[in-house]
Amino acid sequence: MGNLYHNKTAQWLTYAVFFAGFAVIPMTVDDSFLLNQLATYGVYGMLALSISLCWGFGGILNLGQGIAFGLGAYGMAMTMQMQTQDESNPIPPFMLNNSLDHLPMLWQPFQNTYVGMILAVAAPTLFCAVFGGIMFRARVSGPFFAIMTLAMLSAFYTIIIDRQPYTGGVNGLTPPSSLQFAGYEVDPYSPTAYWVVFGFLLGATVIAKLITQSSFGLVTQAIRDDSERVRFLGYSVAGYETVIYTVSGLIAAIAGCCWVMLVQYVSPAQLDVGFSLSMVIWAAIGGRYSLLGSILGAFIIQGAQSYLGDTFLATWLLILGGFFIIVVRFLPNGLASLVESGLGLFAAKRGPASAEPNGDAKPIPAE
Amino acid sequence: MDLGSLLNALILGVSIASIWLIAALGLTIIYGTAGVINMAHGEFIMLGAYSSYMLQFYLGLPYLLCLPASFVIVALVGLALERGLIRYLYNRPLDTLLATYGVSLVLMQGVRLIFGSDPKYLAVPEMFQSNVMLGSASISAFRIVVLGITAFLVFALWLLFYKTRFGVQVRAVMQNKEMAASFGINSGRIYMMTFALGAGLAGVAGALFGVLAIVLPTMGASYVVQAFLMVVVGGGSLAGSVVASGVTGEMQSVFAFFTNDTFARFIIFVLIVVFLRFRPQGLFAQAGARR
Amino acid sequence: MPGLLEIHNLSKSFDATKVINDFSMEVTEGTLCCLVGPNGAGKTTTMDLITGRIKPTSGKIVFANEDITAKHEHIIARAGIGRKFQVPAVLRDMTVRQNLEVAYSRQTNPFWNLFKFRVTGLKQKLDEIATLAGLTDRLNDRAGILSHGETQWLEIGMVLMQEPRLLLMDEPIAGMTEGEIEKTARIFKDLRKTATLVVVEHDMGFVREIADEVVVMHMGSLLAQGTIQQIEANPRVRDVYLGEQEAA
Repeated sequence: MGNLYHNKTAQWLTYAVFFAGFAVIPMTVDDSFLLNQLATYGVYGMLALSISLCWGFGGILNLGQGIAFGLGAYGMAMTMQMQTQDESNPIPPFMLNNSLDHLPMLWQPFQNTYVGMILAVAAPTLFCAVFGGIMFRARVSGPFFAIMTLAMLSAFYTIIIDRQPYTGGVNGLTPPSSLQFAGYEVDPYSPTAYWVVFGFLLGATVIAKLITQSSFGLVTQAIRDDSERVRFLGYSVAGYETVIYTVSGLIAAIAGCCWVMLVQYVSPAQLDVGFSLSMVIWAAIGGRYSLLGSILGAFIIQGAQSYLGDTFLATWLLILGGFFIIVVRFLPNGLASLVESGLGLFAAKRGPASAEPNGDAKPIPAE
Repeated sequence: MDLGSLLNALILGVSIASIWLIAALGLTIIYGTAGVINMAHGEFIMLGAYSSYMLQFYLGLPYLLCLPASFVIVALVGLALERGLIRYLYNRPLDTLLATYGVSLVLMQGVRLIFGSDPKYLAVPEMFQSNVMLGSASISAFRIVVLGITAFLVFALWLLFYKTRFGVQVRAVMQNKEMAASFGINSGRIYMMTFALGAGLAGVAGALFGVLAIVLPTMGASYVVQAFLMVVVGGGSLAGSVVASGVTGEMQSVFAFFTNDTFARFIIFVLIVVFLRFRPQGLFAQAGARR
Repeated sequence: MPGLLEIHNLSKSFDATKVINDFSMEVTEGTLCCLVGPNGAGKTTTMDLITGRIKPTSGKIVFANEDITAKHEHIIARAGIGRKFQVPAVLRDMTVRQNLEVAYSRQTNPFWNLFKFRVTGLKQKLDEIATLAGLTDRLNDRAGILSHGETQWLEIGMVLMQEPRLLLMDEPIAGMTEGEIEKTARIFKDLRKTATLVVVEHDMGFVREIADEVVVMHMGSLLAQGTIQQIEANPRVRDVYLGEQEAA
């Protein structure tokens, strides 16, 4: 292909440059609040990545990614909460306020940090595997699956608010001290916390990228194109859909854990419909067919929200909504498609011998 | 168990059902006809409430006249949206979902900029403020008004879709757009009109909800997921939405009687997901409905 | 000797309409069987029933001594049945190369495929099929921009990539030029050495050239089965089908 955008080596190089840029940040920034904020962007990047993997490559629009993110976050918050309880004082204060005189079964595994952290990641992943498995086997797809995830998200949102003695209700959980891990205290404002998030984002990106380049990735793209046809080639569509949805959920669950590590706080707001939709907006604006584009989409939108949000507080949502409408209407493949067509033009100018027909409105989502 | 209060719960259930149904009516029309998933539906409801508020506050329009006026205002907003945006996206169902979410953000924030975030209230005629005894159940008169208006609208829609020329055209377009076109039916015009109609219905719902609850820029968000579920469970048909709202409204009321409102809502969400697992096409799937 | 594909008393009703009515047929391994009949005779529905796209109301379908009635599409495909659709179904957003790669479905397990980056034997097979289908120059083009004839060839290529034991071809030569039809006939005859074919076709000239056996369907039932000479001599077939063709 004449277009550099579809060149695998060029893609990996771009990723390397991108992550190298992020690796030098802690060495140049000594504002710990800024560092913490940048690390939370990394978490948003992970979420956008998970959406891109599931929606861009798998064709499954998930409006309920907040489930995996929120459950992961709650699991982590429970673990961190239990780290501050001890033998003499085993019950978190909010439970006592809700007149609960013993530690509920649900909370007991979280007394052990390792078990708690494993559960924080495993429980949402398992949920995705089961929920996805059931839905995809029934051949629920497209907008219907999107609505189902919305319903499930609302279900979790309401149950968490309702079961106040166990979940902290609307107030959520606020672990009083930072995460203790293997004898170390992970200060959320330290470079260490930044590196942890950076590491997970890097790992998740590399794995996601490898998945899209594997035979698995090829089949999921075929399913996105025409799931009916793929069945007649011998592939179990439900199986592939469940796996990619679950991997996407796993990444979101890890993002949830990182997020609580950084902000020491979780509430039902993390399972709010609006937040899950923002994740989709990040990926859509950045370009859902591009993993890196989606991550950058999250950075751009959240960055703009933090910096412009102060000046244009009142109009920010107006700007975001309007921008989003314009992208969906005129640039359905997001900002990344601008890069793609730009490189395409460049390639066309350089070599008229290139066999690729240009001006084709629908690009091949090869990445 | 107290049979009397269970009976009360059942009566209340009818009222809840009518609220859910009127929230879902406009969405049913739009989804059922054009296959558009309109995420801005909640904001249409909100616009209906604010329209009534404005007409009442600035022009002193009596409440009962605010209802049709809200219908017209929101229908015009819907018309503009369809012409300006939705019609370009008919063959991209997931993109309409996203674009209309963008619209909902714009509408919500726009209204917040104009009217502020403080709650507004709608005044209703004296006679609606009392309570009425239905058997042993006491229910506010206004809820009966809501029930009546819902029933009236369902009947009117049934007449419109099954007894008029317009209805025949709509159903022809739903069945087969190309075939309908060859009979000289302009499907673009049909989509435009059903979209405006659906938006108008949301406007009426908003004028009613503004009385049941307070008027806020964010009020729409709480209705949209619920309304969607009614439409999906019903399968996109009018009868489907009526039955779906009826059953879930009653279940909500009865479960809430045994537990509480929030937990009842949780159970209903889960039951709906389970139901759609076994009947993804909904209760009454329409022939030729777009998926 | 039992046939590779056996259909026993197959029936399918949509609401009250019987689309397939007590239909039975048998296809011998290594032969090419043409399924003919007027429009609405139930040919494509039979294909749908064999490949599991729809489930029969009653009856049984046996493939290679294995009951495949009402199994899932992908299970039937894995058993060794490949299908070309009447309206060519290719993956329009993917390149021709990717279409062929996906169709080379030796490994279908999602977990194994997560770790697979290079598929053994793929390149050789892909080159061979691309040459056969005349698509070597178009490998990097998006399938959606191919002409109708090329799309037909791509889908035939995809079915060949699957290396199925039984190939179901629904109107494979529609939209092809005279020369391409000859080429298709040649390829199909060659394929009989390694596979069994069932071809749905209207073009009696093409059927005459390729068929070892002809099955005539009429109103969802078997009307006649035999060699092309037997079928053309059959007065009932003349009445319902050939007569109609000649009149047209």
